[in-house]
Amino acid sequence: MEGPIALSIVAQRQKLSEKYLQQVALLLTRNNFLLSVKGSGGGYLLSRSPEQIFIYDVLDVLEGNIAFEELPQGEESAIERSIRLHFYQKLDQEVKKVFEGLTLAEVTKAEWFTYVI
Amino acid sequence: MKLSTKGRYSLQTLVYLATCRENCSIRSISEATGISSGYLEQLMIPLRKAELVEAERGVQGGYRLARPDITCQEVLSASEGDFEPVPCKGCERTDACKTHQIWALLQSAVVDFSKQVTIAELASHLVESEAGGGI
Repeated sequence: MEGPIALSIVAQRQKLSEKYLQQVALLLTRNNFLLSVKGSGGGYLLSRSPEQIFIYDVLDVLEGNIAFEELPQGEESAIERSIRLHFYQKLDQEVKKVFEGLTLAEVTKAEWFTYVI
Repeated sequence: MKLSTKGRYSLQTLVYLATCRENCSIRSISEATGISSGYLEQLMIPLRKAELVEAERGVQGGYRLARPDITCQEVLSASEGDFEPVPCKGCERTDACKTHQIWALLQSAVVDFSKQVTIAELASHLVESEAGGGI
């Protein structure tokens, strides 16, 4: 594995704002996807191998809960319940199924999207 | 995933309309769903435009579903616009971007499944579990 990568380099390569990347990196570090290395030559590392990082988990963190289903706050009408159980909940299962087992390692392979689309 | 209130309320409105035998007034929809009349009027504009609901004037007037086979995807597309988890349009890196493919995968999963669920089906579950109660 390579050493830590500075956000300034990522920002340059991906043409993204470094400030914005700092926010993302903080979120990813807090949720144990990244390790932050301080000091000169510091930056960020994956906390584990890409084979062990699931895309669904990362999306869930970045999106702040990927689920469509919202648990009822107080009284739930029959209509709300039907939509929740028979649409949102199933939709969430569907999304989960699509991403099941998909790891960062697979996504970073060049041929990835040739077999999913 | 955040669906807007607009999308969620529009689904509720259409499921309610699917349970009605006659035209429904805004007032009765409001009583059944708890959505304010003013907001319902707003929701109806894109739904009518997309020809998912029809409105009739007069004493027996009100709203009804335009057809029985409306899907959740049609409702959400009318009320929310196209479901795009990330606005990649116009990004110069789209072709090279690996994450773009993830978002595309997420988008097609949501759109494809939403096309399979009809408003009528959601309404039928309602009748089964509640025998028309609660509405």
